[in-house]
Amino acid sequence: MLAARDVHRHFEGMRAVDGVSLDAPRGQITGLIGPNGAGKSTLLAVLAGTLPSTSGAIVFDGVDITRMPAYARARHGLVRTFQLPSEFAKLTVLENLLVAAPHHRGDSLLGALLGKRYWEDDERRLVGEARALLARFGMSAKESDYAGTMSGGQKRLIEIMRALMLRPRLLLLDEPMSGVHPKVVQEIQYYLEELRAEGLTILMVEHELHMVERLCDTVIVMAQGKVIGSGTMASLRRQREIVDAYLVG
Amino acid sequence: MNSYYAATLLVYAAVDIIACLALNLQFGLSGIVNFSFIVFQAIGAYTAAVLSMPPDTANGAYQVYVGGFQLPFPIPWLGGALAGGLLAVPVGLVVLRKLRTDYQAISLLVLSVIANSVITNARPLLNGAAGIAQVPGPFADQIDPLSQSYQLLYVGLTVPCVVLVWVVAARIANSPFGRSLRAMREHELAATALGKNPVQLKMTIFIVGGILAGLSGAILVGYIAVWAPSEWLYPETIILFAAVIVGGRANNMGAILGALLVPVGFFEVTRLIPPTIGGWVPPPNLIPASEWVSIGLLIIGFLWFRPEGVRPEARRIFDGAPVGEEP
Repeated sequence: MLAARDVHRHFEGMRAVDGVSLDAPRGQITGLIGPNGAGKSTLLAVLAGTLPSTSGAIVFDGVDITRMPAYARARHGLVRTFQLPSEFAKLTVLENLLVAAPHHRGDSLLGALLGKRYWEDDERRLVGEARALLARFGMSAKESDYAGTMSGGQKRLIEIMRALMLRPRLLLLDEPMSGVHPKVVQEIQYYLEELRAEGLTILMVEHELHMVERLCDTVIVMAQGKVIGSGTMASLRRQREIVDAYLVG
Repeated sequence: MNSYYAATLLVYAAVDIIACLALNLQFGLSGIVNFSFIVFQAIGAYTAAVLSMPPDTANGAYQVYVGGFQLPFPIPWLGGALAGGLLAVPVGLVVLRKLRTDYQAISLLVLSVIANSVITNARPLLNGAAGIAQVPGPFADQIDPLSQSYQLLYVGLTVPCVVLVWVVAARIANSPFGRSLRAMREHELAATALGKNPVQLKMTIFIVGGILAGLSGAILVGYIAVWAPSEWLYPETIILFAAVIVGGRANNMGAILGALLVPVGFFEVTRLIPPTIGGWVPPPNLIPASEWVSIGLLIIGFLWFRPEGVRPEARRIFDGAPVGEEP
């Protein structure tokens, strides 16, 4: 589904991502783990296009997207979330989801100027879709609240719902459990398993190793900008250099 | 209040309302800190002037300027609006594509200073610091511009423009396109990651704002008949920012309220200050200087105590939303 080949990202000589090659197979959850500063989030940003790569190739569903800008990759079905909360604070929860809705007749200057009658059918349909997602994630009662007033866990859910509104084919999740109450972690885990069952491909950076073990089909380990191993969590625990680099304890 | 004064007040109010609605689209809705806004109003005014005036060899050639096409209404107003939009294209492409928001603001402020200096010193272009005078207003060749009926006519031509700009601003602000602009304002990178092209969004609203600013300049110059660099120094933009901040960012009614409270109301109030206070004659520049100090204090005061303005940005609640979630 997603293949990266010899991808580099350098910051003035510092090799944040140093020749990474990886695959995220269709319909699976692939985990990306490693110590702080390993280059995981940078790699995720490079894959999503929010940071350009210094060199290398990225192919998504058979299309070379290496030079494709981030917004085009998102429209193509490759959607990312962020490590830090990235909600649109002064938009309501429902509006946060509607922003992501593709192919809206009112989402252009011309459409806006033509007036509500021109786009209200699309709006009605997409509000329905967004409300269905809110119901699924148990956040219907919050639809009219400003997203900025939500808790950390609710903001994570908003990000995931927002990404789903775009009907992604591959979801890049950057530490979806970080800073989240344990109860919400269980919820997120449940939703991610559901999404996988529905056939969505996910590449996930995560520090919660128990979650990674339960959720991920394949796990890739990074250290100092390089991939140092990959496989199931069980097989990784048997590799001495990986245990030394990251899995101590 | 005589009818001339009333007409003057109404035309100034209309011009400021159009300008504030335009700035609100750029700054309030989209987060673009356009510190060169007044340049777009100025190019609209200059363009409308040279489109409506006769060649500079007329009237004894006491002033020099390019153009002088003597075109009938509404071409000068449309030309002014078009010029504002056209100027937004190169400026936007240079400033809005790569720079961070704070650097955008600095660049646009510098542009405002440079543009004013160039026009002031390049006299053959638009008559330099003296500016251009005797700009004919719409139908000035058919009705005496000093007559009461002409004043009414001018107000009558201006009001539909305000209504049109209001409709444009309202439709943009309340549409899914406006929602994308607000999302970009809140978190540009997240909006990009959701398929929004931030450069396209910013360029679009920058050009729309430029068109509306140009129109406001065209309307103003047709009424006051003169236009000079002293009319569009960069602090003029700060007054409009004060109006949008006081009225309420991202709220069109707030922008109108701000236009009426700050550029119109605030400066009208200072006209009521008597020339002598208890026998004391204040220095000649005290009142204009105190106006600027007051504008600065007004901005700081609102940003400190009520940053959302008199009319805050409205929360959008959709039909069928769960009850009990009202603000």
